[in-house]
Amino acid sequence: MEHIETITVRQALPMVFAGQSFPHSRVWLSELTLHRGDLYKIEAASGGGKSSLCAYIYGSREDYQGEILFNNEDIRTFDIARWQEIRRKHLAYLPQDLSLFPELTAIENIQLKNRLTDFATESEILGWLRRLGIEFRANFPCGRMSIGQQQRVAIVRAICQPFDFILLDEPVSHLDSENNLIAASLIEEIASRQNAAVISTSVGNPLALSAPISLPL
Amino acid sequence: MVSRLLRKNTSTARIIGFVISNFIGLAIVLGGVQFYTDAASIWNDSDSFIRSDFLVINKKVTSENTLHGVSPFSAEEQADIAAQPWVRQAAPFTASNYQVRASVDQGGRGMSTSMFFEAIPDDYVDVPGSQWQWREGDAEIPLIISKDYLTLYNFGFASAAGLPQMSEGLMSGIPLRLTLTDHSGSRTLNFYGRIAGYSNRLNTILVPQNFMDYTNSMLASGQGSRPSRMIVEVNSPGDVAISKYMETHDYEIAGDKSATSASFLLKVVVGIVLSIGIVITILSLLILMLSISLIMEKNRDKLHSLLMLGYTPGAVASPYRRIVVSASAIALLMAVGATLLLRHSYSDALAGLGAGQGSVWPAILIGCALTIITMTLNLITVHRRVLGSWRITR
Repeated sequence: MEHIETITVRQALPMVFAGQSFPHSRVWLSELTLHRGDLYKIEAASGGGKSSLCAYIYGSREDYQGEILFNNEDIRTFDIARWQEIRRKHLAYLPQDLSLFPELTAIENIQLKNRLTDFATESEILGWLRRLGIEFRANFPCGRMSIGQQQRVAIVRAICQPFDFILLDEPVSHLDSENNLIAASLIEEIASRQNAAVISTSVGNPLALSAPISLPL
Repeated sequence: MVSRLLRKNTSTARIIGFVISNFIGLAIVLGGVQFYTDAASIWNDSDSFIRSDFLVINKKVTSENTLHGVSPFSAEEQADIAAQPWVRQAAPFTASNYQVRASVDQGGRGMSTSMFFEAIPDDYVDVPGSQWQWREGDAEIPLIISKDYLTLYNFGFASAAGLPQMSEGLMSGIPLRLTLTDHSGSRTLNFYGRIAGYSNRLNTILVPQNFMDYTNSMLASGQGSRPSRMIVEVNSPGDVAISKYMETHDYEIAGDKSATSASFLLKVVVGIVLSIGIVITILSLLILMLSISLIMEKNRDKLHSLLMLGYTPGAVASPYRRIVVSASAIALLMAVGATLLLRHSYSDALAGLGAGQGSVWPAILIGCALTIITMTLNLITVHRRVLGSWRITR
């Protein structure tokens, strides 16, 4: 696949929500197509299924009904090799639990991804850490950092790959508004360089993207 | 970095436990195989003309049948023997149906005796082809005689008659003049006999089958006398079914059976040792399988996170694969080393029993095969564990 141009979520619903109705949802039990190049903000109350949606799109969970399509191709048909290629070249993901390895340093955690994709140079990575104000933590084990610092490490790790879409699950929930702005501009900059879409979720502290399309869950 | 990450939670003690138990299991198996290979030569060498899985069968001579003679094996009896499940192949002895006189000239003193010939198909005789060959027109015929005949001569006849004792080699060098005469005394053929070997297991004077056929056709108009003995190749010489059959049919197994039963016992003992070794090898396989599973279960979240980052299952599995391969290889090398040491320790004792050195390759090949099997099963476990961490339902 050259690029993921569209992601379509059709009549989808987490299994645990089966039987419930969602009158205001733009996502569940409806048809939604996300386009490469656009900025999206998904907002919902806690328990609305944001993280589930991200995990479904990223292929790490399949407990949903309905369909999710990349370029009109059902993602349930993808095998492991296909997913691993998509995750290295087309789809970036920052999970809510960050999934950093606590025993590795910030730079090691980032290089774990970057070595796989060979996307950025070490000085670029250090530059991004500097912009986010945590360059001094580069060689510090992630397990001993504050959540806010860990979130910023995970943001840098997420952008260390080519992507058509980037999924950010509550990326700035522990950041102040100033760092939120810095993170948003960095992500937008990297995304627009590749004409990629940004999908960001939040429960109240959204990533400060410029004029995103808002999608209530 | 991936292997550094995944090496956490790896229990060195458990891996060493696997190496030791796998080593013990393999060493027992390899030691058993090696001992068998070396010791089996004791029996194989003692009678290289007839292999131990050949038996010679004859009918029992009793006071009753002395009067009208032992009846030869009829065609039905031959077929019945050949049809037994423990028989691989069977053939009758062909006996000469003419008179044979052998004479020796020894320093002016002539000596002559009446004798007879028997023949069995060449497949049953284990002498290199060139030494066991006779072609029409050849004056010299190869013979295999019973070792007992030489013993009788040396320790019975020679000392009583004041003749020199003879070694096997010396005896083989003396040309025997053989005169073959038909029953009416009208036709005579002359040959020279050369002793090609001595046998513990055949109480007869053996000539090549084609020579027998030729002389019977010349001197007895093609009629060999009817066979009174059979040679039988069996699957396992220790089989109880064989002795039962012999008893019910009043047959006897001729020759030295102690080699047969001893080699059978060796097989049983080695079989027991091998089974113990294989059981230990299987247990060690389970140890590694369980500890690898446990380590990977503990690292399940890490494995999942790496797969989420886009690492391939192969890349994630490689640290574990390295553990499996190196632990198995170390155990194999140690087992081969221990086998060679063991062999060194018993080789003098075995040589005293007349054993030659067997090859080390059967043991090494079996070790490699077992290691490849355990390694493959463990690698499959690793692979399945990695795929098991692909999706985690929280």
